[in-house]
Amino acid sequence: MSNVDLLGRRKFIAGLGAAAGAAMVAPAMAVSEKTDGVKWDKEVEIVIIGSGFAGLAAGIEATKLGAKDVHIFEKMSYFGGNSAINGGLFAAPGTPMQSKEGVKDSVDRMVADQMAAGRGIADEALLRHVAEHAMEALQMTFDAGSEYHPYLQQLGGHSVARTYQTTVSCGAGITQPLLHKCRDLGVHTHNRSKFEGFLIGGNGEVLGVKMRDNYHFDEEQPGKVINIRAKRGVIMATGGFAQNVNLRMAQDPTLTSEVGCTNAPGATGEGMYEMFRLGAVPVHLAHIQSGPWASPDEGGFGYVSNYSIYNFPHSIAINRLTGKRFMNEIADRKTRADAELACRDEKGNALPPILITSYKDSKKHPNTKKVIKYNVGWKFDSIEELASHFNVPTKALKTQIEEYNQYVKSGEDTQFGKNMTKAKDKYIEAPFTVVRLWPKVHYCQGGVQITTKAEVKDSFTGNPIAGLYAAGEVCGGIHGVSRLGSCSIPECMVMGMTAARSMMKA
Amino acid sequence: MKTLKMMLAMGLLCLSSAAVQAVEIRDHHQEVIGKDCKTCHDNGIKQFPSDQACQQCHDVDELAETTARSEEDKWQNPHNNLHYGKELPCQECHGEHKAKEPICSNCHTFKYDKHKK
Repeated sequence: MSNVDLLGRRKFIAGLGAAAGAAMVAPAMAVSEKTDGVKWDKEVEIVIIGSGFAGLAAGIEATKLGAKDVHIFEKMSYFGGNSAINGGLFAAPGTPMQSKEGVKDSVDRMVADQMAAGRGIADEALLRHVAEHAMEALQMTFDAGSEYHPYLQQLGGHSVARTYQTTVSCGAGITQPLLHKCRDLGVHTHNRSKFEGFLIGGNGEVLGVKMRDNYHFDEEQPGKVINIRAKRGVIMATGGFAQNVNLRMAQDPTLTSEVGCTNAPGATGEGMYEMFRLGAVPVHLAHIQSGPWASPDEGGFGYVSNYSIYNFPHSIAINRLTGKRFMNEIADRKTRADAELACRDEKGNALPPILITSYKDSKKHPNTKKVIKYNVGWKFDSIEELASHFNVPTKALKTQIEEYNQYVKSGEDTQFGKNMTKAKDKYIEAPFTVVRLWPKVHYCQGGVQITTKAEVKDSFTGNPIAGLYAAGEVCGGIHGVSRLGSCSIPECMVMGMTAARSMMKA
Repeated sequence: MKTLKMMLAMGLLCLSSAAVQAVEIRDHHQEVIGKDCKTCHDNGIKQFPSDQACQQCHDVDELAETTARSEEDKWQNPHNNLHYGKELPCQECHGEHKAKEPICSNCHTFKYDKHKK
């Protein structure tokens, strides 16, 4: 991307004040130290830092494999991290619902779809490892009591429908059952516990961690720091850094504090940077993903994101200036986010495009009621009414809808090459529901390099750092340039389970 | 005095004389707590109250009943919500020394008309 593009993009995003929400956060500095002379305050079997999908799955798996004294530490006052506030979308090949719906899928096919979106720099071995074990992770959620909508969805960049979604359309439909499962199994869960650094043995191995207790995020309050010895090792499941504006701007200067963010406030990256300080390999940090389904009319992930994700396959995204489509509505996230950011008025100011869906189709997802009720989406009885509300050229829009409906009929989108499988028989017809779209920072593809055993590799030796494992968004390089939607939950859970398995075998 | 109280409520002034004014955001607190800081500050005056402090008087199950919503919106109950169930510490949404917005407003446009900062 040229500098000119960067500046231009920055200007578009900055022009949209409504999307702002990410607060500046300056996390306290964590520092690791040698254990010489350190007094251990506590000794436990396994330390897990972070209570999202990866940490919770690691806790359950370790306990199943016989661990007796597992501790999950969470710096926020509440559990679940970013995993508790996302779409709850879970992709896996060879699932019961795929058999039921007659969808032909395979590990190879899921990996191939992800490799394409990774644009040549994704890690095939890790993607394959996750796809091979995704069904086990999905089963873990079934066993814990997670419930899913009775249909599959086909998300952007996926060549078939392979995505489950929780009935509450949120990751909390997984984190809450997993958290309760952890506690039922005897896993100890500690909130307000902030990771302050590793404690290192004579050979550079991780022996334990420094933890600050009674921590109040974003407040000045010195809690007590204690040294915890982790007999089997430490699993870092600390998530991404999308909420740390300084760190994300260091990678991508266009991602200023004015750019919206879907993440929980705690996604600030200290755990990741402390692993770098220890010697972990930084991978793909500049690949920070924006979600093309987000709305400028609400904060964070809100209600619109899931509404859009569900409806994109049978909807049209319209540039309000032209009244025309401007992208394949189920292209991968980067393709769509870039296309949306290019939608602007004559002066170059942000002009969030609109997503138009037939109400008869949109109403099948529970979020449709919500977006209308909470005034972040609108219902219209005619094209004229819709066009006038959003100031879209009526004639051009009418022509576009007629053209698109031909693609629905023929099954071939000659305009943008969209896969029309899920659009079958779903003509764009009044009444309509409409939301506005504008990308928000959503996911960090970059992080520490790991092996397929969830070991963290050392920059200089290339060998795993003893006693240290990592899982989930804190890891980098797995997805390459653009992660496909619904592929993070399986990755987090499979790698959390993998970390537990590796640790119990070591 | 009234102006000072208003400024406090607006979160413009939260240091200096804040301690004295703490219980004035909620009238009922003034009655029950008076000027005994330790009633809430169970971890010492310089520390935030523990997450159990409010539960000396308030019961989360009762609060959840009071703020229950219709079946359709049941998970928008701040005291028993979709993301964290009944576990969200009181201090995430309520402050006695400074005004706070409900944590939901990070992402949602819900209206909680009776929410006293």
